[in-house]
Amino acid sequence: MRTLLTLYAKELRSYFLSPFGWIVLAFTAIMQGVSLSTAMKILQDTPIADSLVYIVFHTPIFWFYFLFIFPLITMRLFAEEERSGTLETLLTAPVRTSQVVFSKYFAALSFYVILWIPAFVHFQLFSTLTNIPTPFTNGSLLGAFLIIFLMGVFYTAVGVLASSLTSSQIIAGIITICMLVIHYFLGFVTVIWGETSEAVGFFHYISCQEHLHFFAKGLIDSRPIVYNLSMAAIVLFLTHHIVDYRRWKR
Amino acid sequence: MIEIDHLTKRFSRHTAVDDISFEVGSGQVVGFLGPNGAGKTTTLRMLTGYLPPSSGFASVDGHDVFRDPLGARRKIGYLPESVPLYLDMRVREYLTFRGQIKGLRGRGLKRRLDEVLDQCGLQNVHRKMIKTLSKGYRQRVGIADALIHEPPLLILDEPTNGLDPNQIRSIRKLITRLGKKHTILVSTHILSEVAQLCNQIIIIDGGRIKAADTPANLVGQMRVAGRVTAEIKGPAEEIGAALQELKAVKKVSHELAKDGWEHFSIFVESSTDARERIANLARDKKWPLRSLSRHEATLEEVFVELTRKD
Repeated sequence: MRTLLTLYAKELRSYFLSPFGWIVLAFTAIMQGVSLSTAMKILQDTPIADSLVYIVFHTPIFWFYFLFIFPLITMRLFAEEERSGTLETLLTAPVRTSQVVFSKYFAALSFYVILWIPAFVHFQLFSTLTNIPTPFTNGSLLGAFLIIFLMGVFYTAVGVLASSLTSSQIIAGIITICMLVIHYFLGFVTVIWGETSEAVGFFHYISCQEHLHFFAKGLIDSRPIVYNLSMAAIVLFLTHHIVDYRRWKR
Repeated sequence: MIEIDHLTKRFSRHTAVDDISFEVGSGQVVGFLGPNGAGKTTTLRMLTGYLPPSSGFASVDGHDVFRDPLGARRKIGYLPESVPLYLDMRVREYLTFRGQIKGLRGRGLKRRLDEVLDQCGLQNVHRKMIKTLSKGYRQRVGIADALIHEPPLLILDEPTNGLDPNQIRSIRKLITRLGKKHTILVSTHILSEVAQLCNQIIIIDGGRIKAADTPANLVGQMRVAGRVTAEIKGPAEEIGAALQELKAVKKVSHELAKDGWEHFSIFVESSTDARERIANLARDKKWPLRSLSRHEATLEEVFVELTRKD
């Protein structure tokens, strides 16, 4: 456990000791701000029954920057160690492969959570700064951030997996974004091809847009929770085996 | 300390390490030699648990490197060939991190940090970023990392690779000092180094062990060690025939005479010294003898003889 904490602290610290981490933080903070102001503009122009939280997470740019967060925060993790050879010193120290995988994963996930602090602060400050009564309920705020966190749990794991597949950060990033975009479009299958096929249930089940839609309205459904957590577990399990297997095959 | 038994590593088509076995006792400094691509690094990587063996068994201080990798790794300080370090960390920060993942904490860690910084001559750079250090200093940071948890066994993969002569000397001195406390397995191809450092040598080529012995024995057993050269004045053919008659002489070859002296290269059985008999022969026959010397074999010749491909 101590080893895990040491590794975790080192990984998390490295986000803040390089300009890269701050750039990612600035990028997401700006995009969250743009999302918020776009949402306010929409509310100003047209009367809408949805809450501010719902609209912020349904602005056109939301998915664009949201999916890009994951390659940025995960592509370095294993690819960089593999390229510089430090994976060898790391894995010949008395540490388990699982400790290495988990420390990197949780560090990336923690950084991801930190990335969402600005958006959370926006909502908290909204009524104080604008003198408008809070245009959303606590339920929808909680639900939206819960699903944002759950998607982060799954997508960060995907990024860690991609990073363990290659020694090039760029390729790791591209693999991550491709997998996430494919997953994103799978959620649109029922919209594009209609509700007639037999697999409709499946596509509804994995649709991240629907998850966000319900959670941002404050409807907390246990199925997406189970889905994201179990997918993350499976992907991390695969990552563990890939890190081990890379040593076997060479 | 190290026990390797029929260890084999096959990559898809290529067998890098082919059924090698050896043992290294406690307190020895062992040189692990071989040409590039002989399987040195692969063997060391299997020993440190980084690569799993295809078959065979290896243990360090009684811990099977495959079944009990963590136990074995606690006993090993390993410096890989390329000296991989986190370049954006400071020296002390890096060593603190490495000490922590190797199980050191608090006061014990601090004491060890000061000791290794001192031992490896890093006191005046300990606040520097690793990326600003020269190759020699990086090498020392790598060795400090290998040492920090006081492992009984140090495995150093080409520790003097790419250093200038002064740096090589200082690393060599460091290794000599460490050899008093630790068992060391050091791979290198700088042979003069091995002769000075090691009390045992293992030569590997094509994935197989070619020789394993003390430097003195290895040099003594070589064919080149049995070569005696003599300069004698007299009838060349007669001398040649007489030399050939001597006990333990295998082959005599006559080289061209220079200023009236005949040069002979005499190959004798490697464990014997024929010089006395040659001197006696020359005296009895009243042939003046100007020089008589036995060729001192070097490790380099041993190495070339064992690993050349012809």
